[in-house]
Amino acid sequence: MTALLSTRDLVVGYEGRTVLDGLDLDLPADAFTVIVGPNACGKSTLLRTMARLLTPRHGAVLLDGTAIRDLPTREVARRLGVLPQSPLVPEGITVADLVGRGRQPYQRWWRQWSAEDGRAVEQAMTLADVAGLADRPVDTLSGGQRQRVWIAMTLAQDTEALLLDEPTTFLDLAHQVEVLDLLHRLRAERGRTVVAVLHDLNQAARYADHLVAMRAGAVVAAGPPHEILTADLVRDVFGLDCVVVPCPVTGAPLVVPARTHTSAAPAAVPAPAGPSVGDA
Amino acid sequence: MSASTTVLPGRSLLRLGPVAVRVRRRPVLVATALLLLLAAAMVLSLCLGTPYVAPADVLRALSGAGTPYDLVVLDLRLPRAVLAALAGAAFGVAGTLIQSVARNPLASPDVIGVTQGAGLAATVALTGGAAAILVAPAALLGGLLAAVLVFALGARHGLAAQRFVLAGVAMAFAFRALTEVVMLAADPIDGLRAQVWLIGTLAGKGWTEAAWIAATLAVLLPVLLWAGWALHSAALDDDTARSIGLRPVARRIGLAGTGVLVAATVTAQVGAVDFVALVAPQVARRLVRAERPPLLCAALLGALLLVLADLAGRRLLAPTQLPAGVLTAAIGGPYLMFLLLRTRGRRS
Repeated sequence: MTALLSTRDLVVGYEGRTVLDGLDLDLPADAFTVIVGPNACGKSTLLRTMARLLTPRHGAVLLDGTAIRDLPTREVARRLGVLPQSPLVPEGITVADLVGRGRQPYQRWWRQWSAEDGRAVEQAMTLADVAGLADRPVDTLSGGQRQRVWIAMTLAQDTEALLLDEPTTFLDLAHQVEVLDLLHRLRAERGRTVVAVLHDLNQAARYADHLVAMRAGAVVAAGPPHEILTADLVRDVFGLDCVVVPCPVTGAPLVVPARTHTSAAPAAVPAPAGPSVGDA
Repeated sequence: MSASTTVLPGRSLLRLGPVAVRVRRRPVLVATALLLLLAAAMVLSLCLGTPYVAPADVLRALSGAGTPYDLVVLDLRLPRAVLAALAGAAFGVAGTLIQSVARNPLASPDVIGVTQGAGLAATVALTGGAAAILVAPAALLGGLLAAVLVFALGARHGLAAQRFVLAGVAMAFAFRALTEVVMLAADPIDGLRAQVWLIGTLAGKGWTEAAWIAATLAVLLPVLLWAGWALHSAALDDDTARSIGLRPVARRIGLAGTGVLVAATVTAQVGAVDFVALVAPQVARRLVRAERPPLLCAALLGALLLVLADLAGRRLLAPTQLPAGVLTAAIGGPYLMFLLLRTRGRRS
């Protein structure tokens, strides 16, 4: 596997508290990588550090083998698109205008727009399915539409890789699937490298080519979901007892929490039908 | 120069050789209208007064034809009208830059302490027996020092908007209190002169002051051209700004620093004229319906406001002259209340 993004001996912390301590990780190119883990395990910190939104105390993030902090931030912005967790929508800004901001790394104050900029913005809006909203103020849109607009902005940057920090949080299930399908298409049809932090293990298993499971600032397992996602791993990472069955739609591993105190009614958990608790 | 239509909706592209500038159409219309209004207001301010000069005579005097009104129009009224326009424009520019960095419509040089710092320094100079020629440099220095203090206090978390404004408001109060102390301790006549300076007036001022402001704006022109573009992304949060390859903290320091420099310069020349820097950017923003104050329109609106305020100050209670700062405060106070009420209404 060729790694587009790697970390070497990465140490990151906030004011005295160390979150990541000596992390080595390679994220494959041309793949959809999903990072999962319990709250406060450092997955967002990892993503934000790889996106150069946080500066590591020690170690380095490598983009195609070059330390990212040695690259001019404009150049990084042409190769790496980043969608932070809950970006602030400037009051009254229109969709086309916000998506156009994604062209910033290609612009200068004396050269504020090119035909290429126009093409990239149009294509990004079409891909993210927000072309019909071009003239609408972003703050009047629904959560799902808004998230697609932000994704369109990062697409307008025309980068080989995209990093997204919990892109489905605050969206209802249908909108979550919509966003994840879009990311899948970007990988499958456009050959983009996509890296996302997700909360939902089953969505992660369904969409990821490469899954990274983290706990307490360290990577516990990394690899294709059907190889690494087992009941043992879920117990190890989340401290949750579960059964793992194949998803009836995609065949990907599906994590079903086992009997807990609140679901203690008899027969609430049917015996796993068919194969494998923790298949390989 | 050609215009292309393949840009974003409501936008045109102006090309001039390798230069390509994206322009919104509405601000261009608003700017044109403001420019015409400004020209009309300036002609009006050259006409009105004792003696009254008819517009035709004003235009003839301006064209250099030589009229009996040359002294009144060209030597007495024109310098003051030009100064009002330049100072107003500078206040508009300073307010736009500072408000955009602070992401707060209530921030402006007179809210974050720059004006009060200049006022304190000017009061010390005026009451301490310094030569008249030293008052403006002292005020400039005071304004800049105040800004450095505010920046230092607000510097943690990369000059984050909230912190920066709060530090400024606190400093403004401190400077004002110190100014009062200096004034009370001073000779009453000197105290009165300081009082007039603090309100801000254009009376007795003209080409010299205008030249200082014009020179500052001219030197800063390349920076202002950059700022007009940089303001474009000032409304984005820091993470988003970084992700598209910007350096938000350096950018804020550059924009706010430019705003402070302009504010301190103009305040040093015309005194603490309140509210123009506060009001002009926000009204301009509403006129162009943008998500941020537009630099050029705010400058033109500031110029228009101050020309009209100075004219009203000269004429309302003639022959008594009201300082322009009184008039701008009279307009600005109610506007500020309106803005406060509106902001609260929208959040809830």
